[in-house]
Amino acid sequence: MFFFLSVPEIWKTGLTCFIGLATLIGIMTRPFRWNEATIAMVGAAVLFLLGLITPADAFLTLIRDWNTFLFFLGMMALSALAESAGLFDWLAVQAARLAGQSAARLFLNVFLLGTLISTVLSNDATALILTPIVYVLVTKLRLPVLPYLFACTFIADAASFLLPVSNPINIIITSRFPLDLWTFLRLLFLPSLVVIVINIGIFYLLYRKQLTGAFDIQRLPSAEEATKHKGYFRYTCCILAVVAFAYVIASAIQLPLSLIALSGAVLLLIGALSWRQTSLRETASRISWSIFGFITGMFIVVRAIEDTGLTTLFGNWLIHLSGDTSFGAVMVGMAGAAVGTNLINNVPMAVVMVSALGGIQHASPAIQHGFIAATIFGCDLGPNLTTVGSLATVLWLLILRQRNVDVTGLDYFKVGVLVTPLMLLAGALTIWLLL
Amino acid sequence: MRVLVCLDGTNGEQVSKATEILSATQSLTLGILYVIDTGPRKDIEHTRERFLRRPGPPRSREDEMEQAELAAAQDVLNEGLRYLPDAETFQRLGRPEREIVNVAAEWQADLVIICPRGEYGGKPAIGPKSVGHVARFVLDHAPCPVLLVRQTAREQFPVAR
Repeated sequence: MFFFLSVPEIWKTGLTCFIGLATLIGIMTRPFRWNEATIAMVGAAVLFLLGLITPADAFLTLIRDWNTFLFFLGMMALSALAESAGLFDWLAVQAARLAGQSAARLFLNVFLLGTLISTVLSNDATALILTPIVYVLVTKLRLPVLPYLFACTFIADAASFLLPVSNPINIIITSRFPLDLWTFLRLLFLPSLVVIVINIGIFYLLYRKQLTGAFDIQRLPSAEEATKHKGYFRYTCCILAVVAFAYVIASAIQLPLSLIALSGAVLLLIGALSWRQTSLRETASRISWSIFGFITGMFIVVRAIEDTGLTTLFGNWLIHLSGDTSFGAVMVGMAGAAVGTNLINNVPMAVVMVSALGGIQHASPAIQHGFIAATIFGCDLGPNLTTVGSLATVLWLLILRQRNVDVTGLDYFKVGVLVTPLMLLAGALTIWLLL
Repeated sequence: MRVLVCLDGTNGEQVSKATEILSATQSLTLGILYVIDTGPRKDIEHTRERFLRRPGPPRSREDEMEQAELAAAQDVLNEGLRYLPDAETFQRLGRPEREIVNVAAEWQADLVIICPRGEYGGKPAIGPKSVGHVARFVLDHAPCPVLLVRQTAREQFPVAR
């Protein structure tokens, strides 16, 4: 409509910003319990119908980010197929066996297992697949459940910047601002270790009284019980080992990581189908298709806002706040990303930050790297602050609490508020020292 | 006297000793209660929401979680029956503190016996915050007297005067 009418530019800008803002607020508050994907797609559709973004622009935006879409698909399929082979169950049983009946050592093993899974299969796999498995395990072992659940949720994020594939957010950011593997590891590997150590240390301190006991090894299910089909299980282990190696090589030579994830998923699928361990329909049902709608909507909305120059202004403001120093870049990038992820979820925040940082090409390499690494770090770790999803959810839980309604999730929030700022600060300082 | 004993998986011996002392003076009708806490399951759902993954885990995983909860609950109640063989058993699903006060009211308990919090080894906890949120809620909301059974902690005395 506006596409066909000659409307003053200022009106178009205002309307685009209004729709963009309404979409972000919608994602924060989820009115009528609407799915985030629906809200993002409605935002994009309104922009499209009003001619505030051209079909060509929208199409090019989506095509440009093909790596992100395919990576999400490959990552979810890989995790789902590895789960159907019983890999996560087997690993959890091994973690318990190696703990030698000590609740404290099992706690450490859950952290280590979460780190391994996040590194290779991304934080989604740890938070969404490992957590219920650990819940079953510690319930069977009659251990206190919450410390172990918190360990899974927190380590999923704390270990999600060890490699570019450890979090899809890393792919969104590095697709626009490519970092070679060495630079990625140089800037983020050590901060990741620092954050993981702080996380484990504080959790041991917080839960020391609940972790002093021992568990009865008799209650533990056997490792063989966990694997449903030995042949498919071994095949899955081999494929994932190859995928992990290929991820490192592909990151080093800057090959799109989505191709590795998808190839691995296809190979696992072929194995699963030939051993009759899953069906196409079952695998498809374990993939969250609405995520693609969400990302599509967000990419289009942010692209339209980008055209108004608003995100550039935001980027310039961030650079101005950083005072043109690498320390400022790291702190402002980290704080902006971390706060934003708790307002609007980390996927849209990563998209917004990527767009905002479009103007940093003129800055010095140290400032550029500082902003990019801090954005990855803030978007990856920031969600640990509220963990339940967003600040809006926490506010809602607090309101429910005042009304004396059953509330869960607040326990997470209390721990997150205590631990996360410390991890964010320590990690950001380490990044700055490594610049 | 109708006594409702709250089990948490770690306190069977402790609460049975308390009932022994009580039974020396009057006859007791005992009920033992274990509540499967739904809080952690809701926390898992919240995490899924953050990752934009609704609804919950695959059905088979949900079943496995439910079976583990039921098996653990049965285990705790059987353990309770070993200490208190004549007791009536109650198993509930929900927020433990709310289920306890509701069962106490429904069963017309004259006394609720509860421990301050689950003890998983180590020194018995005394001092501020030593009463966990479940026991705290029961103390505040129970429809009858509540007996809070602590572990003996004489070695931690004297406290600073």
